[in-house]
Amino acid sequence: MQTTTQDTPAFIKVRGLKKSYSETIQVLKGLDLDMYPGDRIVVIGPSGGGKSTLLRCVMGLENIDEGTIEVDGKPYIKGQGRTEKNAIDHTIQKQVGMVFQHYTLFPHLTILQNLTLAPVKSRGIPRSQAEEKARGLLKRLGLADKADAQPSQLSGGQKQRVAIARALMLSPELMLFDEVTSALDPELVNEVESVMMQLADQHMPMMIVTHDMWFAKNIATRVVFCAGGVVVEDGTPEQIFSNPKEQRTRDFLEKILHTENAA
Amino acid sequence: MSYDIDFFYTLKGIDTLMEGLLVTLQLSLTSIVIGVSLGFVVALMVMSPSKLLSWPATSFIEIFRCTPALIQIVWIFYCVPMLFNVFLDPIVMGVLALSLNLIAFNAEAYRAAIQAIPKAQLDASVALGLNKIQTNVYVVLPQAIRLALPVLVTNGISIFQQSALVAIVAIEDLMYMGKMLSTETYRPIETFTVVALIYFAIALPAMYISSQLEKRLKVA
Repeated sequence: MQTTTQDTPAFIKVRGLKKSYSETIQVLKGLDLDMYPGDRIVVIGPSGGGKSTLLRCVMGLENIDEGTIEVDGKPYIKGQGRTEKNAIDHTIQKQVGMVFQHYTLFPHLTILQNLTLAPVKSRGIPRSQAEEKARGLLKRLGLADKADAQPSQLSGGQKQRVAIARALMLSPELMLFDEVTSALDPELVNEVESVMMQLADQHMPMMIVTHDMWFAKNIATRVVFCAGGVVVEDGTPEQIFSNPKEQRTRDFLEKILHTENAA
Repeated sequence: MSYDIDFFYTLKGIDTLMEGLLVTLQLSLTSIVIGVSLGFVVALMVMSPSKLLSWPATSFIEIFRCTPALIQIVWIFYCVPMLFNVFLDPIVMGVLALSLNLIAFNAEAYRAAIQAIPKAQLDASVALGLNKIQTNVYVVLPQAIRLALPVLVTNGISIFQQSALVAIVAIEDLMYMGKMLSTETYRPIETFTVVALIYFAIALPAMYISSQLEKRLKVA
C-alpha cells in the first residue's frame, strides 16, 4: 500500500482549475488536486461532475478559464481567462498520453500505421525503429496478428487495446484513461482492464475515470470523488469505498453500488 | 402517326454530332478539373475562422447553389462582356460558367466530408502530439477525400449533363449540333434520340463506377 505525504513534491499539481463551456455552464469550479509519484488515481463521481473535463484539461484539450497545472514543479498549463488562449508547455504535453471512450483509431490507417504515425511524423523516429517497437507492443497485448488489419475489422476491446498501445508508443510519463471501457460490451471489458492492470504492475502513473467500481478498487492507489466541479473527497480505495467521510460521497456510492448489485 | 421513323439522315450526320461531343467533353472535363481543385480551396475558405475569407466564399457558394444553372450561363455570357468589357472565346466562357457552378457544389461536398470526421479524432491527434498541419495532412485530408469522392463524381456527371445548357448561348456542343442537325434533316425524333443516347452512353458507366467506388470506400 502506497502512502502519500505532503512533504514529497507533487508530480502533478492542479490548482484552482476553472472551466466553463459558456457564460452559464461552469463544469470545473476551482478544482485542486495533487498527484504524487507512484499514484494511480481513479476519479469517480456523478456525470456532469467534471471527471472527464479534468482529464481533458490535463491533456491540454480544453481551454481553461483559470488555474494552473504543474508537472514536476514546472508550469504546464495556465488559464488566462475564458476567451484567452492557455499558456501551455508543449514539451510537457508530449509526455502525457490519453485513451478515450470511443477508441478514436484512425480508420484509414492499418493498426501498425495507427501506432507509427505519431512517432514517425511528430517525433522523427525512423520508421523501421517505430515499426519494431509497434510489433513488440502489439505482441505484448496479444494483437500480433492484427498489425496489418484495418480498425474496422477489430472488436471494441481490441480497438481499445490498440488505442492504449498507440499512446504507449510515445513512452508517456502519465497516462489518462477517460471511461475507456464504457462503450464496450460487458464481455470485452476485462481484456482492456487487464492491459491497464499490466501497466499498473509496471508502475505507470495513471489517472483513470471509470464507472466500474470493482476495477477502481483494484487498480487505484487513490480514489478521488469529484462532484459539482470540485474534489469532494480524496483517499485510499479502502477508505472511500468502506468508510466515506462526506455525505455526498456516501450518497453517490450507495446509489451506484445498489445498481451494480441489482444488475 | 404519319411520321416514318428513319435514322438514315441522322446517322449520316453522326460526324457533326461527334464534333459536338468533343466540345461537350472538353467543356465538362476542364470544368471538372477546375471544380475538383478550386472546390477544395473554397471549402477551406468557408471553414476559415477569418470572416474575411469565409464570408465571400459562403456567399459565392449560396449564389451558385440557389440560382438555376441556365441563368448563370446566360448571365455570364451576356452580362460579363457588357460589365467588364471583356470578350472571351465562347468555349472559355462556357468553361467559366460551368466551373463556377461546379466549384460551389464541390466545395459543399468537401466541407461536409471534413466536418463528418469525428472531433474525437482531432482530440486523439492532439494527445499524440501531432500539430495542426500534421493532423490535417495525415488524419483529416485522406479521410475527407475518401468521403467526398462519391459526391465529387456525381457532381462531375451532373455538370456533364448540365453542359447541354450552353447550347442556348450558341456554343457548338453536342446539344447545339443536335439541334442544328434536327433542323437540317427535319428529323427531331431520330436526332434527339441519338443525342440523348450519346449522353446516356457516357453518363451511365460513370454513374456505375461512382456507385462501385462508394461501396468500396464505405468498408474502410
